[in-house]
Amino acid sequence: MDKRIVFIKDTGMQSADRTRDFYAAFLDQLREGNLHETVQVLRVADIGLYNQGVVVKILPDDIVYCNVKDSDIKRIVDTTIKEGRALDELVYGGKPKQIRIVLRNCGKIDPESIDDYLSVDGYQALRKVLSEHTPETVIEELKKSGLRGRGGAGYPTWMKWKFTRQSKGQEKYIICNGDEGDPGAYMDRSVLEGDPHSVIEGMIIAGFTIGAGKGYFYIRAEYPLAVDRIKKAIGQARERGLLGENILGSGFSFDLDIRLGAGAFVCGEETALIASIEGKRGTPRPRPPYPSVQGLWDKPTAINNVETLANIAVIILKGGSWFAGIGTEKSKGTKVFALTGKVRNSGLVEVPMGITLREIVFDIGGGLLSNKGIKAVQTGGPSGGVIPKEYLDTPVDYENLQKLGSIMGSGGMIVMDEDDCVADIAKFYLGFCVEESCGKCVPCRIGGYQMLEVLHRITEGKGTMADLAKLKLISESMRKASLCGLGQTAANPVISTLTYFENEYKEHIVNKKCPSHKCKSLVTYSILQAKCKRCRVCVVNCPENIIKGDREKGFYIELDKCIKCGKCFEVCKFGAILKE
Amino acid sequence: MEKPPEAKNWIKVGMSTCGIAAGADVVFATLLEESRKRNIQIEIKKCGCLGMCYAEPLVEVSVEGLPAVVYGRVDKEVAVKILEKHVCGKLLVNDNIFDFPIKKQV
Repeated sequence: MDKRIVFIKDTGMQSADRTRDFYAAFLDQLREGNLHETVQVLRVADIGLYNQGVVVKILPDDIVYCNVKDSDIKRIVDTTIKEGRALDELVYGGKPKQIRIVLRNCGKIDPESIDDYLSVDGYQALRKVLSEHTPETVIEELKKSGLRGRGGAGYPTWMKWKFTRQSKGQEKYIICNGDEGDPGAYMDRSVLEGDPHSVIEGMIIAGFTIGAGKGYFYIRAEYPLAVDRIKKAIGQARERGLLGENILGSGFSFDLDIRLGAGAFVCGEETALIASIEGKRGTPRPRPPYPSVQGLWDKPTAINNVETLANIAVIILKGGSWFAGIGTEKSKGTKVFALTGKVRNSGLVEVPMGITLREIVFDIGGGLLSNKGIKAVQTGGPSGGVIPKEYLDTPVDYENLQKLGSIMGSGGMIVMDEDDCVADIAKFYLGFCVEESCGKCVPCRIGGYQMLEVLHRITEGKGTMADLAKLKLISESMRKASLCGLGQTAANPVISTLTYFENEYKEHIVNKKCPSHKCKSLVTYSILQAKCKRCRVCVVNCPENIIKGDREKGFYIELDKCIKCGKCFEVCKFGAILKE
Repeated sequence: MEKPPEAKNWIKVGMSTCGIAAGADVVFATLLEESRKRNIQIEIKKCGCLGMCYAEPLVEVSVEGLPAVVYGRVDKEVAVKILEKHVCGKLLVNDNIFDFPIKKQV
């Protein structure tokens, strides 16, 4: 029998960590029963549950107890450890929230070894496709699976492949879009770095299905490790006869190449991406014709996101209906999110569609970093919007997020607490889009700039109520008249913050106050004489030397010279600096 | 193409950009060097990112008779402890295990 192991962790966040006390008590109890030689008790750093009191996990039985009290220790040792029976009243009833399909091999296999990938059923889907499937049956399987593009818009993958297959022409292309540019999103990088062969396998199957002989990886140059690993993986696949002429004796020939993006956000848009691969300037063109009809070098082209392609092999192996069993009615499968911002456990999470934002932030992410309340969650990067805390219980899928004025996007998810100012956030995202606008069409180039000017005015306390109407008007024209997705969605962060937090904007304009104390021009610092201990820490730390006064009479800040750096606020240990 | 059998005892170090930024390369080098010094026979390999970026560098260890566990925030010191205590002594190391529940795909 395997040795028993007991994990202990206090997951309560309100009071002091009691893990060590319980650890000691458990050890004592085990010694009493003379079990300390055969059972190991451990303090763990994280047990995957939050706000569940003291959690005790017993291995190899895999029994999890939550909200354990001191008085329960004896029973646990007597019943579960000695006799192997679970104490039903203490068992934690929740199920794991994460399901790993796309990230199935990430962190499990050596990405630089094809043998590792083969040992986890790698390239079995390709074998199956080449020996048992026709392109039509692959499309049928994908249709059954309900897989939709993971790049953000959620276009059904089977339709994209079908249209590309149906387009006339001998030469066709498949492109993997690895130009992940949303601030704070890095799902694709992780997949490319952690499991490159799964994406390659998806590409080969896509090539077979649409009738392409050549595929391109378009990866941003800021991901050198991803590029390096994909390059290695392509070489290994070629050596094994999985790429090149007559793959696995099937008569199907296909090869892959890598193109690097030079750092322009707009090149993640498919027509701009195609122009970039062709060696032209990366600017979008009007659609139609869609790339599935006229794409790379005017030949029919299918462009899929990294995450979409990483799903393909599993769907082929396990069947479309298996995949369709996960998720909601219209959004199937899982989605990888890059959970960042003011959340305790930032990182990648892969969750089934239909999970709520609350579950993601609090059950997986472990809640907020600060003890401040949550304000909103931003999804979809610069094309998305904010979802205020009132809507945290909405099931996450393509349609629901759109209804809330945001989008699924590629999967960035930024948690904001009460310290974040919505106008500031809107300014940041819009500023990003203005900088990344290619300048080809007027609504995006000029509209974005004008909106940004208005936002600057508002955050500096110079805004008027007419500015809000102006923001709405410009954003509407940008949405209707811009050439590509970048311009059409650039105003989304502004619109969604305006919808949900109009009062905060008004506060900036009418009362010249920033409720989150984030907008520098609207914040003032002063010294609360009642709390001040006259220790002079602020005086010493002020970079402008404008805190005047002496220990006798007290200190004051020369407001007209204050640069509002916030240093005094940070260093004061007595809370004597008032920020308002 | 034969499936190569997986070794029973192994150490996997998360070596994606996030891991390396947090110092996984140092941990990897330490594990290699220290295991050679102590003449410990164990497969040590590089892997991708497990997703728990807040706890990088991540090291997953599997030793026969013990459950596979993930250690987080591993530094040189913890790396040596893993070798001495976990691999040789067959006892898990306190305070650095990050256990997170993930439903296995059906």
